[in-house]
Amino acid sequence: MALNRRDLLKIAALASTFPLFGCEKVTSELTKNLGQTIPAKFGTAANSTVDKDFHLLSRATYGIWPGDLDYLKTSGRDHWLQEQLNPQKIDDGACDLRARRFETLWLDPGTCAEFKKPVLRDELVRHMLLRAVYSKRQLFEVMVGFWTDHLNIDVNKGDAIYAKAFDDYKVIRPNALGNFRNLLAASATSAAMLIYLDGKENRRATSDAIPNENYARELLELHTMGVDGGYKQKDVYEVARCLTGWRIHGDWKRGQVYFDDAQHDNGTKLVLGHRIAAGQGARDLDSVLDIVCKHKSTANHLATKLVSHFVCESPPPELVQKVAAAFTATSGDIRSMLLVAFNSPQFDQYPVSKIKRPFHFIVSALRGLAADTYAHSSVTEYLSRMGHGPFEFPTPDGYPDQSSYWVSTLLWRWNFALSLCSGNIAEVTLDLPLLAQAMGAKGVNGKSLQAEKIFAHLVGRKPNAHELEAFNCARKSGAKREAELAPELDPELIGLMLSSPAFQRC
Amino acid sequence: MKAKQYSRRSFLSKLAFYDQPNLAGANKSLVCIFLRGGADTLNMLVPYGMDEYYKLRPTISIKAPGRSADAVLKLNDLYGFHPKMAPLLPIFADGRLGMVQGVGSDNDSGSHFSAQDQMEHGESCKHSLGGGWLGRHLASRRHPRQTPLSAVAIGSALPEVLRGAPAASVIKSLDDIKLNAPAADTRVVAAALAKLYQAETALLAEPGKTTLDLLKRVQKLQQKSYSPANGAIYPDNTFGQGLKELARLLKGNVGLEISCLDLNGWDTHFFQGGASGLQADSIEQLALGLAAFDKDLGSVRNRVTTIVITEFGRRTYENSSLGTDHGRGFTLFAIGERIAGGQIHGSTPLLSHGQEVDLFGPAGLPIDFDYRSVLSEILVRALDNRRIDCVFPGFNSQEVGLVKRSIV
Repeated sequence: MALNRRDLLKIAALASTFPLFGCEKVTSELTKNLGQTIPAKFGTAANSTVDKDFHLLSRATYGIWPGDLDYLKTSGRDHWLQEQLNPQKIDDGACDLRARRFETLWLDPGTCAEFKKPVLRDELVRHMLLRAVYSKRQLFEVMVGFWTDHLNIDVNKGDAIYAKAFDDYKVIRPNALGNFRNLLAASATSAAMLIYLDGKENRRATSDAIPNENYARELLELHTMGVDGGYKQKDVYEVARCLTGWRIHGDWKRGQVYFDDAQHDNGTKLVLGHRIAAGQGARDLDSVLDIVCKHKSTANHLATKLVSHFVCESPPPELVQKVAAAFTATSGDIRSMLLVAFNSPQFDQYPVSKIKRPFHFIVSALRGLAADTYAHSSVTEYLSRMGHGPFEFPTPDGYPDQSSYWVSTLLWRWNFALSLCSGNIAEVTLDLPLLAQAMGAKGVNGKSLQAEKIFAHLVGRKPNAHELEAFNCARKSGAKREAELAPELDPELIGLMLSSPAFQRC
Repeated sequence: MKAKQYSRRSFLSKLAFYDQPNLAGANKSLVCIFLRGGADTLNMLVPYGMDEYYKLRPTISIKAPGRSADAVLKLNDLYGFHPKMAPLLPIFADGRLGMVQGVGSDNDSGSHFSAQDQMEHGESCKHSLGGGWLGRHLASRRHPRQTPLSAVAIGSALPEVLRGAPAASVIKSLDDIKLNAPAADTRVVAAALAKLYQAETALLAEPGKTTLDLLKRVQKLQQKSYSPANGAIYPDNTFGQGLKELARLLKGNVGLEISCLDLNGWDTHFFQGGASGLQADSIEQLALGLAAFDKDLGSVRNRVTTIVITEFGRRTYENSSLGTDHGRGFTLFAIGERIAGGQIHGSTPLLSHGQEVDLFGPAGLPIDFDYRSVLSEILVRALDNRRIDCVFPGFNSQEVGLVKRSIV
């Protein structure tokens, strides 16, 4: 395109005002201009075991974008982690152009209620996926995913969907790398959470009413202390009493959360052995948060979940202890916990021990091939099919983080990979020849080098003899359909690599 | 020691004889429907003959028979069905639908996850076991004809109850099962995948192999189109369509032994409704689906048993948001030729507020039957499991009477 950058910006502004056909094409050109593209040249892992830096990237990000490995190696792990842990300093303009185009994401719940539910769901899911694929703030996005599961809200319950966008940008995102207590406080009074776990129905006991314990129970069992955290049935009830009176406005203030003193149980409570004096009103919530956040079970529960997510599914107890100690020492600083986990000697000991969850699998495939997508239903359908549609897990424990839960999704993974590479996913485009050229996998060195380079780019190591043999036997069939691409490039072969056991791992 | 080995071998050879299916695909089959969220079965099988019921539920109770058009459908002088259960009346009258009152587990956490997991694992909350109870059942019957289609879950993820099964498949519809490669290349791609997954030793080895086997088997079924038999019409929702896929598989003689299907939306803390409303909609989905399934199965009905379970019942009294909170015991529903149907097994006196063990803890219907007693009876008498101690080790089962004894 023979336009300069300012012209492109004008066009983009225009195009985003009117959802005109072709708007996505313009955005794609623009984001390419802003560096969201395949670098002219980039390196791939060269060893037969998984590269250590690749391992860090495959846990701390949603997968390697071409050039990411070089960047990490040049800047060093410490610098890279510091950068990722301070996401506001990373310019994410190109990602914003793709992901911020949806109007309902920035509206309050009352205004969202003017929209149809499927529109809201579609925009939420596409935003989540586009951020995961294109954001340079990768660790931040991974943590947004982590907390979205931890403080799970199924948008299919009641009117929760009207308030979920607000929950995403007011609760999860501002606190994803911040302080846990702040995150929890924001969540406790989030309209979406009050709807999802019936908090808005929780009122003081009267002769014919009993408090609704739903949120209080999950607050203790899932959000903070863990099921074996040491609380009793009585504590659940006492916490429920503390949280009576939080309501959501109807009418013209629709969707706004407020505290209704008349519905609040203002008596004395006893939570986990701590006495909360009578007459504290809305401040009972702060007391509960203080008590549970200072409890050692909470530090332990969160540390276990983080270590299990980032290091190893059977979390080494000594590392859990260290991460929990970081939580306690910093009164809940999430970054400090992550640093302990990533810098621990244990971190490098468990490469490829996890199976990517479907969302991670799909995003890492799109990132690995630098795909051009706007996350249309052609892509998101695969997520629902594999049981991993964002914001749709029915129960408050969030999508399981155990590999074994996800292994029955292989067929859909294979089908996504094969369709993606052969250009059969509508509105997703790849530039495989350019990719191959940039990693030096094209031309003079022969076919097996090509396979080796692409594979190493995708999984962080060279293929073993067994894998090469499998790729070679598939290659013969694809040969006839390659004519228009570079002569030695076989899209089906890349599809097979994305289908291979190695690419399912992280 | 020598004698013991000998006797063990002869014992095993006997087992092998018993477990041999007569014909491929003619196995006895169990369909396990899980109502997720803790179903309020007290408004499904309504004890309209107890005054206490109406006292505890001033707003959400179902009117006694004859009081109005949407009243209880009378089964006997004490119990009747929720009006939306009407499609199941003929099966009850036919003596193939039976109920057990006061079924539950020893889990008093009140947690959905903990109670669901425990129920799916088939364990006591004091002692956890590996895998799910249906997984262990399948493993205990392991025979050479077991295939990835021996156990099928309709949905998107393997339910806990099937963990430990030698092979299990998770599908939404039968037509989903194919490889998206250009037709001419499907075989080559499948062969390359087989090669790649053969080399796996860990978590992915088994799923890789079973997925590839499954593809081949289903291809055959797909070549025929499916229309339900005997004029059965499935409701047009995920649950109804799931049952239809199961009927297709059951009649397709692919060796399906165990199938699992969830129906969500039973966690009715808030505005549950009575004869109509939130729960009534769920009951309608369940009843219409099961009735269509029963009709459609037709000639294969004699080898299919269907059970409907949930993680816990709900409290006997309604809460201030016109719903019900987590309770304990529930009513288990079962359909099949082997079921002692047309009757309600066990009886459950309703407890009033004052009598409950702990007003603020999970209370509700007391438990007369440990859920494992009911499941044991089904596995032993309806599915001919001869190694029930492998499924529920150390558990002393109690006679329920839900399943007829087989004539030996």
